[in-house]
Amino acid sequence: MLEQLELRLNSLYHNDRQLLGRIHQKVYPKDRILIVGATGSGKSSLLSTLNLMNQSYTGEILFAGTNIKQMKPELLRSRICMVMQEPYLEDASIGDILDLPLQYNALKQREMPQRKQHIKELMHRFKLPEDFLMKQASTLSGGEKQRIALIRVLQLNPEILLLDEISSALDQTSSGIISDFIFESFPGTVIAISHDPLWQSRWQKIWKLDSGTISFLTTGSGV
Amino acid sequence: MDISYLGLGLSALLLIFPLLIFSHLKLKLSGQLFNSFIRMILQLAVIGLVLQFIFASVNLWLTLAWMLIMISNAVITLRGRLKFQRKVILPVLIIALGTTTLIIMPWLIVLTVKPRPLFSPTFLIPIYGMVLGNSMNSCALALERFESGLADNWKAYLSRLSLGASLWEAALPAFKKAMQTSLVPQLLTIASIGVVSLPGMMTGQILGGASPLVAIKYQMMIMISIFSGVCITDYTAISLYLRKRFDRYYLPKP
Repeated sequence: MLEQLELRLNSLYHNDRQLLGRIHQKVYPKDRILIVGATGSGKSSLLSTLNLMNQSYTGEILFAGTNIKQMKPELLRSRICMVMQEPYLEDASIGDILDLPLQYNALKQREMPQRKQHIKELMHRFKLPEDFLMKQASTLSGGEKQRIALIRVLQLNPEILLLDEISSALDQTSSGIISDFIFESFPGTVIAISHDPLWQSRWQKIWKLDSGTISFLTTGSGV
Repeated sequence: MDISYLGLGLSALLLIFPLLIFSHLKLKLSGQLFNSFIRMILQLAVIGLVLQFIFASVNLWLTLAWMLIMISNAVITLRGRLKFQRKVILPVLIIALGTTTLIIMPWLIVLTVKPRPLFSPTFLIPIYGMVLGNSMNSCALALERFESGLADNWKAYLSRLSLGASLWEAALPAFKKAMQTSLVPQLLTIASIGVVSLPGMMTGQILGGASPLVAIKYQMMIMISIFSGVCITDYTAISLYLRKRFDRYYLPKP
């Protein structure tokens, strides 16, 4: 199978301090990868190199054969999408918030067949009532915001989804619902950081960061 | 109608009232009062002599040189006032104020006033001072607002980026807010002019003997030029600042 993403990093650092040494690894379409490691071991730094949000590394990262540094950042970031631990929602109605990325140049050309239907299904799966679209973002709870942030990204059909501790604001039930969806229904690749025990068991591959080194484990379970 | 030096001196006696009030309140402002007024008097005296000389000589190069001193002063003042991103701000200010100058001034000279000679300093220098002064103040406010709009909410900016926004798209909300903060008070001032107080330029012209009907035409022209100048300056400054503030991956420079 052709690799989707190839990491050829010599080092990953933060303010002149080296976090990780050599990382040579390939990511294949539909991979489910979990990054684990202690706080400060470089999990978030590593994840954010993949959508050009962090350039503190030496070496190169190839996406579909192209060095990501040579791609237009907005085009890359519209294909490799990140959802953050505490998502930011604009001060607007949920409907408007979901429409906003579609106005970006990088996404104007993208085909999103039956987007409305897609959003409806996602809301249903994530146990959000349909009248939510009319609600103002400021009235939402942390867990609701996180689910909306995820729908905002999923509607764009990204090729790779980067998830940085997204379950920390979620209660057990919604965390379970979302992890089910991400494992079973999301058609792209997922690379995630999570401490949530609910999330730990089902990953195909684990990247384990430990005092400056990274080890790659393949677990038996798959999608 | 000229003022005699004696008359001017007697007007200075009006400062007795603030001094009495300060002493009554035990407010330690008297020293600062003397300092401020002596500075003002010295500065204006020097400017008066210089302008007298420039106005009398009606020389293109001398006028341009004085305008260059004015814009340099504006840039230096602004640079001193803005406390962030000092390394990148200088060219931003020079280009922003320069652009405003090159658009507004020739426009007024050639199309509106047509003074003889065209570079007449009596016209150019006071008008330029008003356009430049307002642009300078507004530019400081707009840049400050833009920077704080971003810095107060990096998460918003970075979230937009991670959804595929370009630099422009991700910074646009802060850009709009900065422009609005800077321009709305100007528009309110414009709408209230003449109702409460007569603007400075018009007052000066009327005191100098011009008819109110001439003075209002100048006032209208100057309000229009100032607003347009302010808008061009703010826009140019933020647009340039935007390019210098972020790297090629649209991430903020340290």
